[in-house]
Amino acid sequence: MRKRLAVGALLSTVMLFAVVLVSGSQAMVGGSVPNSAKKLTASKVTTESLNGWVGAKVEDDLLKTVIAAFEKSHPNIKVDYSGFNNYQTTMLAKFSARKPPDVFYVAAEDFADWVRQGVLQPLDSYAKKTKFSTKPFYTGLANSFKYKGKTYGYPKDWSSLGMQVNPALLNGQKVPQTWAQLRSVAQKINIAGGKPICLGADWARLMAFVYQAGGTGQFKDAQSAPFRVAVNFYINLINDGLAATPDNLGAGWCGEAFGKEKVAIAFEGNWMLGYLKDTFPNLRYTLAPMPKGKTRGNLAFTVSYSMAKDSKNKAAAWTLLSYLTGKVGAKKWTSLGFALPARSDVKPVAGRGAFVKYPRFTHGWGNQVDFRHVWTEVANNELTAVLQGKETVNEMLSKIAAAAK
Amino acid sequence: MAVKERNARGLGSERLREALVGYGFIALPMSFFLLFFIFPIGYAAYISRYDWGIFRGPFVGFDNYRQLYHDTVFWQHAVRNTLVYTAVVVPLQMAIGLSLAVVVNQAIRFRTFFRSAFYFPSLASSAAIVSIATYILASDGLLNSFLGRLGYEHSYAWFARQDTALPAIIGLNAWTTAGTMMLFYLASLQAISTEVYEAAAIDGAGAWRTFWKITFPLLRPAHFFCLVVFGIGALKLFDQPFLVAGGASGNPAYATMYPILYIYNAAFGVFDFGLAAAAGVIYFVIVFGLTVVQRLTVGRQEAA
Repeated sequence: MRKRLAVGALLSTVMLFAVVLVSGSQAMVGGSVPNSAKKLTASKVTTESLNGWVGAKVEDDLLKTVIAAFEKSHPNIKVDYSGFNNYQTTMLAKFSARKPPDVFYVAAEDFADWVRQGVLQPLDSYAKKTKFSTKPFYTGLANSFKYKGKTYGYPKDWSSLGMQVNPALLNGQKVPQTWAQLRSVAQKINIAGGKPICLGADWARLMAFVYQAGGTGQFKDAQSAPFRVAVNFYINLINDGLAATPDNLGAGWCGEAFGKEKVAIAFEGNWMLGYLKDTFPNLRYTLAPMPKGKTRGNLAFTVSYSMAKDSKNKAAAWTLLSYLTGKVGAKKWTSLGFALPARSDVKPVAGRGAFVKYPRFTHGWGNQVDFRHVWTEVANNELTAVLQGKETVNEMLSKIAAAAK
Repeated sequence: MAVKERNARGLGSERLREALVGYGFIALPMSFFLLFFIFPIGYAAYISRYDWGIFRGPFVGFDNYRQLYHDTVFWQHAVRNTLVYTAVVVPLQMAIGLSLAVVVNQAIRFRTFFRSAFYFPSLASSAAIVSIATYILASDGLLNSFLGRLGYEHSYAWFARQDTALPAIIGLNAWTTAGTMMLFYLASLQAISTEVYEAAAIDGAGAWRTFWKITFPLLRPAHFFCLVVFGIGALKLFDQPFLVAGGASGNPAYATMYPILYIYNAAFGVFDFGLAAAAGVIYFVIVFGLTVVQRLTVGRQEAA
């Protein structure tokens, strides 16, 4: 009896699957892309934002100040702002419920995938209609939010990478400016319990070296010569004992290793400055541009303000979006130096010169289809495997190129 | 004759009434079960045939399954890691749990204290356990400095190396869940009649022989229960690798990539619900298949 029941249960489960799998093929496919042609009359704008890496209270307070200034100059528009963690998951729920915020952040890493999901509103017609000048935006940053010729967001702010140097640990040597100098300087540094350089096991650092080697920065081109040159340079620094990843230095990231003086040189962005000021207030260091390889090259990490395709307040949303990314909003937002202004007509706060010295050689990080998957799930795992001697450079580059294609 | 018929009719209506009351009792939980367990399984199978992002896209047949079939991250890392993890951690948990149960089943002093102490790690949240373990297993953490004093230099963070990340997670989980396993074994140990042990003692069996010839075989129902329940639990591993890697990236070098994290990435990382559903269906089939195999092997022995 029990056996017959068990067989019956097994058969029922298999049949359930078969029915569901087959029935799917007969279902009609409905038009799922939202109709954006809606009347633009509402005056209340809801904006929800906050990614995990901008959770500091001072930044949140600064944004509220910017919003308050906007509301004062635009009394017809009330902004309902809230920030949250688990940004992608929360936004997914809002998009799928067709109740997204009107204006929100989009990380360049997610941009192409979000556009393809049909949740972002093209902004070109709004910019044209209101004569919103896009020329002041740095080209590399503006391009991070273009897809097939259309603009779906304007950069909120950005940061590139710079070279942080602890002069006390350089043994009287000059700050290196090229790959060759970086290597020779590192060879003369001796830090007890540390290494001369900290290098992240992350393509979000390594790719800057790929650009410096003359590469395209596209994962699909991972098997090209510049990729191979840059990866070998990066990995050989570690293999030759001139550099180490943070986990081998008793640190969670290179900023921490640098602050603890376990290394003399690190390559991080603007976000490191506030961290060092708060955590290691007595540390003395200088900030220099990234070293030059075959050419100059750097990464731009940026986030946009974008509008939801399902927004019910598009006119007001555009007014807010153009204010936040415009000269007045951008100046207020970057006034405390948490991020760099994405516009050339707004000057960054003092001490950030190294980050913005070579904008022509700075390339947006992201804006490739399936980017986050290839970057975090494939490329970084492959890089760790190479660093730990489990795989060759060629195997890694071949797998990354295959994943990206 | 008429009385017999009346009695039979009365018995029939009584049975019907009992059956209706029984169905009435299970109606609510069964509707929850159908709505939140059976329906999602069927709906996942339905979604898996579509290019389903945030919204439903076109019907793609078995394309998601084809993509999954060719995805080395899913098969060579996620599924493989989970099978290795399950094959090691479940017997380890059972061995530790049984050993602890045997110890605290003895008439020793402070028995109640030991029972509580061994069970204590099972009460702590996995987030708290991982946070503490991260410090202990850091490159300059407690374990490495202890090993250094013994003459074994180990300068790497245990969770950051491909070779050691999976064993570290296995050790962590074996430690935290062995207490629960101990409880199940303890209950089963106490259900074994003392007469059996007395007979064995009269026959001159020693403690070791008694354990392997009497205690261990009589615990077969507990073995089967632990193997199935904790086996399925191990196949669902998510929280600890997620916390260790600081997300669902699978770092270092895919060592913390498991099927549930793969599904999480596909759904919430790149919004590819079609692929996530296909992976869910395939993984359901794998887990279901393993459970059937367990039932047909260990379960049959237990029934016998």
